[in-house]
Amino acid sequence: MFTTRRGLLVGAAVLTAAGCTEETAQIITSDADLTAALHTARSLARAADALGYSEIAQDHQAHVATLERLLRPNEVTEETAEVPADAAALAEAEAAGGSEAAESCLATESNYAVLLGEIAACRAAHAAVIV
Amino acid sequence: MTAVDTGLAAEYAAIYAYGAAAVHLDGDPRWIAEELEAEHRSRRDALVDYYGAHGLEAAPSEPGYDIDPITDAAGAQELLLAIEENVTATWRAAVAATEPTEREICLKMYSDSAVSLARWRLGIGRPVADPWPGRPE
Repeated sequence: MFTTRRGLLVGAAVLTAAGCTEETAQIITSDADLTAALHTARSLARAADALGYSEIAQDHQAHVATLERLLRPNEVTEETAEVPADAAALAEAEAAGGSEAAESCLATESNYAVLLGEIAACRAAHAAVIV
Repeated sequence: MTAVDTGLAAEYAAIYAYGAAAVHLDGDPRWIAEELEAEHRSRRDALVDYYGAHGLEAAPSEPGYDIDPITDAAGAQELLLAIEENVTATWRAAVAATEPTEREICLKMYSDSAVSLARWRLGIGRPVADPWPGRPE
């Protein structure tokens, strides 16, 4: 393939630039439970903020920050969802989000059972105190 | 001692504390305390049923629990806040159980205790927001 020393050096440079090196490929797997929790946390944060529940929105933002950190280097794209119309609808969304995280907590075989349980408990508490 | 054993002990202590503290409260905190005491009793009963369903024997409650003397409403509120935080922290730790039915009941108790903690905080005018209920600081 490379008939001259110059050709060999140029070829090596091209192959390196193209990423054809012998570094071991890293397969990145995403945790579906964490990803689902992240989507819901973002949605609830937006909803709580839009309805004036800033402290509750901050709770969800704390979940978002933690989940994004755990999922790195994966980037989970934002999904747009309808914002609940009123407090009752927000409480309902919080309860549904709590149930979702609780199911993940019970089903997961990862080390994140307690984290998912914390998120479930937090959302259940929100649902109970939103008026 | 299992995770459920530890949680049941925390529920017993909570019932005892509510019995001693609620009498010092008036108004909204009083009726919220009465509701929360009833919830702790319901949780205790559910836990005793859990033991029975699994052929196990639940430990009985202690004759008394070591709580600070309560002289006024403020002291009662603080005691019950500490109790709710302790119960929530106990059940949070129990969620790490790996046996599925044990984790399931611990998660249910944890979620219910986080609700109780939030309701008590709201009832005594404390901030309710808490992203990680029961997590040690």
